[in-house]
Amino acid sequence: MNARQKIQHIIRRRVLILDGATGTELQARGMPHGVSPELYSLNNSEIIRSVHRGYLEAGSDIIFACTFGANRFKLAQYDVTDVRGVNRKLAGTAREAAGSRGLVAGDIGPTGRFVEPFGDIGFEAAVACYKEQIQGLLEGGVDLFVIETMIDIQETRAALIAIKEVTDLYTIVTMTYDGSGRTLNGTDPVSALVTLQALGADAVGCNCSTGPAEMIPLITRMKPHARVPLVAKPNAGLPVLRQGKTSFEMGPDEFAGNVRAFVYAGANLLGGCCGSTAEHIRALKEQCSSLRPVPVQRRSISAVSSHARTVFLDRGAPLTIIGERINPTGKKALQQELREGKFSLVNSFAREQVRKGAALLDVNVGMPGIDEKAILTQAVKNLVLATDSPLCLDTSHIDALKAALRLYPGRALINSISAEEKTLEDRLRLAASYGAMFILLPITGSSLPRTALERQEIVRRVYAAAREHGFTRDDFMVDALAMAVSADGQAALETLKTITWCSRTLGCHSVVGLSNVSFGLPERAWVNASFLSMAIASGLSCAIANPESVELMNVKRAGDVLAGRDKDAAGFIGHFSVARDHAVPAPAVQERLSVEELIARAILEGDRDRAPALVDRALDEGVKARVLVDGVMIPAIQKVGELYEKKVYFLPQLIASAEAMQRGFERLEPFLGEGGDVSTTKGRILLATVEGDIHDIGKNIVGLMLKNNGYDVLDLGKDVPPQRIIAAAKDAGVDIVGLSALMTTTMMNMGETVNRLRDAGITCDVMVGGAVVTGEFAETIGASYARDGVDAVRVAQNLLSRKRT
Amino acid sequence: MPIHFQAIRVRLPEREIFARLGFRKGLTSLSAAERETVSKTIEEASDIVLLKGAALVMDIRDRDDAGITLEGGTVFPSSSLTGMLAGCSGALLMGATAGQGIMDAIAACSSQNLTRAVILDAVGSEMADAALDWIMDYAGQDLLRSSRRLTRKRFSAGYGDFSLENQQTMFDMLQLGEIGIRMTPAKVLIPEKSVTAVAGVLRLT
Repeated sequence: MNARQKIQHIIRRRVLILDGATGTELQARGMPHGVSPELYSLNNSEIIRSVHRGYLEAGSDIIFACTFGANRFKLAQYDVTDVRGVNRKLAGTAREAAGSRGLVAGDIGPTGRFVEPFGDIGFEAAVACYKEQIQGLLEGGVDLFVIETMIDIQETRAALIAIKEVTDLYTIVTMTYDGSGRTLNGTDPVSALVTLQALGADAVGCNCSTGPAEMIPLITRMKPHARVPLVAKPNAGLPVLRQGKTSFEMGPDEFAGNVRAFVYAGANLLGGCCGSTAEHIRALKEQCSSLRPVPVQRRSISAVSSHARTVFLDRGAPLTIIGERINPTGKKALQQELREGKFSLVNSFAREQVRKGAALLDVNVGMPGIDEKAILTQAVKNLVLATDSPLCLDTSHIDALKAALRLYPGRALINSISAEEKTLEDRLRLAASYGAMFILLPITGSSLPRTALERQEIVRRVYAAAREHGFTRDDFMVDALAMAVSADGQAALETLKTITWCSRTLGCHSVVGLSNVSFGLPERAWVNASFLSMAIASGLSCAIANPESVELMNVKRAGDVLAGRDKDAAGFIGHFSVARDHAVPAPAVQERLSVEELIARAILEGDRDRAPALVDRALDEGVKARVLVDGVMIPAIQKVGELYEKKVYFLPQLIASAEAMQRGFERLEPFLGEGGDVSTTKGRILLATVEGDIHDIGKNIVGLMLKNNGYDVLDLGKDVPPQRIIAAAKDAGVDIVGLSALMTTTMMNMGETVNRLRDAGITCDVMVGGAVVTGEFAETIGASYARDGVDAVRVAQNLLSRKRT
Repeated sequence: MPIHFQAIRVRLPEREIFARLGFRKGLTSLSAAERETVSKTIEEASDIVLLKGAALVMDIRDRDDAGITLEGGTVFPSSSLTGMLAGCSGALLMGATAGQGIMDAIAACSSQNLTRAVILDAVGSEMADAALDWIMDYAGQDLLRSSRRLTRKRFSAGYGDFSLENQQTMFDMLQLGEIGIRMTPAKVLIPEKSVTAVAGVLRLT
């Protein structure tokens, strides 16, 4: 029996016992702090052998070679370059210790760096780094591999791909999840499982970071979706820091007391991580002896994943929308960006489509004149950072598809694989090697099959070929081929028949490119929406469509309800329920308020849309502009300022009120100064962020508040040199110069500016503010200090009234 | 060599963002509709933010009241920093940015919708800070394996007597250009929602 067979044999009968911690055991045997456990073990082979033997005697079926940090990045910190040699020797030591008593796993851990697109290590560099380690481990005689304590799914993929490209030995993969239930890089256990089992991991699970109680729920979450055995290697509790000493205080009995819960949750392989000892493993083994593990319950799964989200394609679930907008056809701006290697529109389309309800995103960058492989790869890297949505890779170029699949940190959907003889085998092999799902396009290349019967025959042929590569019905969806009804009146019906056949006869998923059905017709949206509704009733799984069409998405939601795919219409009701807590009084009450009271209320409530309309109404009713400003609006905004100072209002409310006031005031400006109404500004204030500083949001708030309170504001913007401030102050005859700075370095420019103002003979008051500015500092430079926008109004008032008296 | 993180994921620090905007529980009166609007804007802003970071652990070679000297000879002249790093065998230098996208979004709406701009601004600031928390979590996990841990506190240039001029040293050592940050002559980091900090590394017995 080879190692793989042994492992599978054990798992069928009982829980397979892994080993416990190595680092803490070496420390307990005298390893000094700060040294590399791998290099220490090389020089103290008897000590590491005793650790290995301890676990074997305690009952471990598999021991891990002490090679967790034996990759080139980690060893480089100790100036060691013979990565292969280190791994070979340490694997050999474990091999000697194990003899025939147990299996030896080559232990592969993180490099300490993140892999593109999450970090600065190139993907192929990561694969090469791991291959180097793998070679040494194979030479040392390991029976299997374990990739453990991984945070970055992309680095994990690189390690797994490296193993699969070198050997077919059994491979266990565990990632480490913190208290949030995700890795530090945001990957959840289910997405990791879907991705890694598709990529060829033989067992998947979690280790480290948490104790047993925190890890059990992760296994529970994974089990329903697992096609492979599940692994758990918790720490011996959470680390406790006491007087500078950290320790894991969970004893063997307490540790093993969690075994039953682990097994019922679905774990098939159990061990221990930091803080666990041979005694912990012994206790674990004893507790497991009477328990039968829950076997793997799934053979296949319809799911696509990103690094942080999984979309399940369950039968009877609501229709899944695949957003179609990332496609340069007919989009000049997108074409231009792609030619220039820019992706801001791609990212923007991605975000918008997800916001409007797309669960997956189709990514198509095909157009003449570009290197599609390079651009698709870049697009994928950008999209992975821009969105959590799984991607559908849409390209006819096999090199581009291969590059994108290799780099994509999830389980992708391929759009598409056709029945064309010369490409079918290559594409199926490629899809299988990365475990991708695919859209089956029932086209042979010679002509488009018009009827459902023709399409069914092609699908059966491709499915037979796909089974040879290990695919099941759950691993693909049939493109039911939506064709233009304007060209063939029966086209929609044939598509619907194909969908029904997929759903009710073959038992597989289906997808359509929705908008094709209405090509050539006017008012296409109606045709698309009606067709969608019929397709949902026929059992359609997915639609490639534009989720920004409100009609389409509402028809989809309604269709899901009518087809019984939205349980209790919960999704539909949730989407259309609007819970509003109206601060505005009921209409009956509003009618009793005067227009002046309504304007004041609009300002108080920050209603920027109503304020201008109410001002117009007031003017129509004959209220004087000056009365509105001085008698209604300024008192209202001053009230807002008071509420802000009492913290009854916070900043967005203050600004919304100020903007409502400003919009109302803009309506009044043409009328101020009419009919003897002398426009009286309270004063003219110059505002600027000082030279070298580019922060201006605080200054903008101050400007808005000052304007609202009747001051004339001249805003010079940011990074303004003193000479510009001087010139503007002279020209405009300002009453106050207001300066803003956010940094301790640029704050010094305030003093410089004040000195230069005085040297130029400008004697007006200066007011300063900013995050690092204080009253004491203001005093040292001969200026007044304003804490915020509301305070600035008060300070300006005080300065000007003092000047006038 | 510093480690660079090209996409840091953090829990959206909504509570901290509200606090930065002046919200005080029990004092600030906010209707459900207003809260929904602010939360929606916060969520939209978090979609635009792309957090990146850099980290570097260095041994402390020497220290006195005037400052610390790192391995390789880099000096941080600051008694405040020396105080914070008391008992530490090393220092974690870190930097993070919320990216240019959020700054562009703030600029785009500042003139027409300052309310939205101040919310975006708060999101950028708090998420950059949350990225530093993330870096400390990441480094902390790694350090635990070699029996070390981080101080709970961190210290940034521009505070106490750790002058902003040290920002240049941080920029160079962390190679912040690799994560899209640049620096003005006045030591202002661009994009503006970028931060650097130092935490201490302690040995555990």
